[in-house]
Amino acid sequence: MISVDEAVAFEWVDYYFLFQTMKVFLATLCLFLLASCEPGLTPPPEVEPGLGGTILFEKGTWPRQDSLFNLWVFASKIYPLDSSKIFTGLFSEPPAIYIHPSFEKNLPFFVDSTVYSFALPAGTYKYIGVLQRFREEISVGSLRVVGLYGSNSIPPEPLQVTVEDFQFVRGVNMKVNFHKPPRQPF
Amino acid sequence: MRSTIFHTILGLSLFVISLSAQPVVGSIAGKVVDAETAQPLTGANIVLRGTFMGTATGLQGEFRISKIPPGTYTLVVSMIGYQRIVVDQVAVVASKEQFLSLKLMPTFIETEQVVITANRREQSLQDVPVSVSTVTAKMIAERNTVTLDDALRYVPGVNMTYDQVNIRGSSGYSRGVGSRVLLLLDGLPFLTGDTGEINWETIPVYQVERIEIVKGAGSALYGSSALGGVINVITRDVQDSPELRIRLYTGLYDQPRFSEWRWSTKSRFNSGLLATYSNKTGALGYLLSATRTVDDSYRQNDAYHRWSLYSKLRYDFSSSQSITVTANYLQRVHGNFFWWRNLREATKPADDQLDGQVDSRRGNIGISYKEFLSEKFFYTVKGIYFVNYWEDSKLGKRNYISTSHLANLDVQGTYEFSKENVLTFGVAGNYDLVDANLFGKHPGVGAAAYVQDEVELLPKLKATAGLRFDWQKVSVLPSTSQVNPKLGFVYSPDRETSLRASFGSGFRYPAIGELYIESPQNISNVPVLPNVDLLIEQSVSFEIGGSRSLADRFFVDAAVFTSSFKNLIEPGVAFNERNEAYIKFDNVTKARITGGEVGLRIEWWKKVLSSDLGYTYIWPRDLNENAILKFRPRHMFYVSGSLSYDHLRTSADFRYLSRVERIDENLVRFAPIIHGDQLVPIKVVDVRAWYELVGLGLPIRIGFNVNNLTNYHYVELIGNLAPVRTYFITVDGVW
Repeated sequence: MISVDEAVAFEWVDYYFLFQTMKVFLATLCLFLLASCEPGLTPPPEVEPGLGGTILFEKGTWPRQDSLFNLWVFASKIYPLDSSKIFTGLFSEPPAIYIHPSFEKNLPFFVDSTVYSFALPAGTYKYIGVLQRFREEISVGSLRVVGLYGSNSIPPEPLQVTVEDFQFVRGVNMKVNFHKPPRQPF
Repeated sequence: MRSTIFHTILGLSLFVISLSAQPVVGSIAGKVVDAETAQPLTGANIVLRGTFMGTATGLQGEFRISKIPPGTYTLVVSMIGYQRIVVDQVAVVASKEQFLSLKLMPTFIETEQVVITANRREQSLQDVPVSVSTVTAKMIAERNTVTLDDALRYVPGVNMTYDQVNIRGSSGYSRGVGSRVLLLLDGLPFLTGDTGEINWETIPVYQVERIEIVKGAGSALYGSSALGGVINVITRDVQDSPELRIRLYTGLYDQPRFSEWRWSTKSRFNSGLLATYSNKTGALGYLLSATRTVDDSYRQNDAYHRWSLYSKLRYDFSSSQSITVTANYLQRVHGNFFWWRNLREATKPADDQLDGQVDSRRGNIGISYKEFLSEKFFYTVKGIYFVNYWEDSKLGKRNYISTSHLANLDVQGTYEFSKENVLTFGVAGNYDLVDANLFGKHPGVGAAAYVQDEVELLPKLKATAGLRFDWQKVSVLPSTSQVNPKLGFVYSPDRETSLRASFGSGFRYPAIGELYIESPQNISNVPVLPNVDLLIEQSVSFEIGGSRSLADRFFVDAAVFTSSFKNLIEPGVAFNERNEAYIKFDNVTKARITGGEVGLRIEWWKKVLSSDLGYTYIWPRDLNENAILKFRPRHMFYVSGSLSYDHLRTSADFRYLSRVERIDENLVRFAPIIHGDQLVPIKVVDVRAWYELVGLGLPIRIGFNVNNLTNYHYVELIGNLAPVRTYFITVDGVW
């Protein structure tokens, strides 16, 4: 048996502990709320996938205007290429070979360098380079590769680039020497 | 022939006469009060050991057990929060009433908790040599748990990777196939026959009395799949008096934080209605339940609606013989959301999943017969038949169809030589049949025998030793067999302290789905090929732990553990001679998981305020690749607190799981799951308040829950945004 005074003291102690614990409890809850107030996962910024870089044209190698019908950057998912794969690659759905800026438009002529941004679907591109159409007729025979995104080996080998969704790959730089084009794929 | 019919009719007549005969009986009545305050205790359970006779105390602590055959009985009185008492030598005399005044001593809630799964018989949590956690029906109801996996998200050492359960890092994620945690429904294995996975929605969550989670390998008692642990779902019994329960809830999904993820302008609801009626007429008790659930989901093409029916019948042949039959049926239509389109469109599925749906029909029938042959010996015969049918379709065109049948039978005997020596033994068998265009048509059959002895070696030291032999044959493959031992010790130097040590082994037969799956082009556009050479997964677990209650306000439980695994099966990507990728299940990994776990419960001021904390650290190593195992968080921290005053109860939960450090890169690459590698730690707060209207004379309780209060965005499984903030209102009524 405990006395009335002891019982009152006991209850007071319990109340004291209750309020102390409630304070700790509420403080802890606030702490956890704060900890989880950050959003967690967030949507990534909208980025159009693709690749880009700088193309350097070696001075004094530009051809005459009458052999510059088109000048494009191309990115091909297939490599090696042959003549038959060029047009099927360009016109299949979805394409396997992409052209920049477009069939109707060209990279600027007679400049020392140009910066390009090539929008592409996500995927792995095994062969990237600069393509010149030097004759009026539209055929594989009118095309030649004049620049290559490749290794430092001699002759350079094509380097592949993987473009992920929501990723723009920078630094795909190339040199173009119209007098010394790289090894032709077709 | 005539003679046979005559004898059958005569036998049945005698049986009916014997049932209707009124033997001379006595009764036991009494009152149960709190030993400290002398206040009557309502809801204390009183049972006569070795029989099914028992009752619960009424509002004034009173009880009466009538129709007891004359004899001498042992009376057991238990109540949560009080020490269990055992009254020996209670004599019942014909046509007389024995009156007992009983006093229960308040105690810490955890110490007197009774569990059944650790040793296949009822015993105090303090007396089992392994770590066991429980989830009660009250926790399930208050958290408004719709499927059972949600109830496990706050159990220390347990985490969910979407719908795949992990106990102390055992499972990871194997695309829903081949669970490394064994799920039992009332003590019998309850995995699907085709993929060997847990189908959570098939479990009647509102009929659950409690869930017991045994951590560590448990195949020495339960057989295949108990590599990482065992989860036993115990359904509630039928009521002795008429009872109608109605539960109605409706939830509203909030919008995600970011406008990019707001795919629908309509409000998205998650609602359900449950009705259960239970009664007992003479020796027959029954429970009937129907549930309707409709979930619009917060994600596109992820909505579902389902019907489920559940019934339980119990017939007491006598005070020592009882049979229970359960039946469950579920029908569901669910959108097919495998993974998001990308993280900018995290609530929309990938384009090829936009029009898919899964229709499933699942059902099971269970029978359990239990008989006490004496106060020292009883046996149970349990059987379950589980049928699963599902088909997935796209724009009305059926794609994959699977039907699987699974039957399990278990006969168990328990003999108490003395209070210090209890022997448990039994035999079990199973039969599976799978017929699916994804897996082919294959049968499987298995048999097992097990024995376990619990002995008190010294007055304060108990030992448990067990052994199980399993034999299994799948389709035309050669048969395999397994022997799994277990050993455990419990040392209790005083009433408040318990120290334990255990060793156990586990194994898992490859599921028929893993062996025979063949798909020319699955959802990932990569063909899946069968592998009938898969070996059995194996594990060994060691654990040392202890628990202690302090000043009747604190209860602490701590354990360190290590588990070794070999031949772990995972789907892997390989390339053929034409350099084309294909997927095949293979025994690829050997692993070791070591760690520690601590749980703390604090109660203040006559349990007005209580809190639970659980922290688990695991170091899961892939020994083949010398790297962390995939899909395992290293740190798991759970804390919950509740405050009760008068008829109001409020509580809050916080769970933290550290960021998963390694995922299945091939799944991300080949699916492909865009932004599948985007992971964050899990930090979720849930809060709720309940108010009981008994003060107004209504047997109704109203609850308000906010799940994911801070609208924290995370994934448990790659490419699957977890539920956004959701508001629930629930009304529960019991008549």
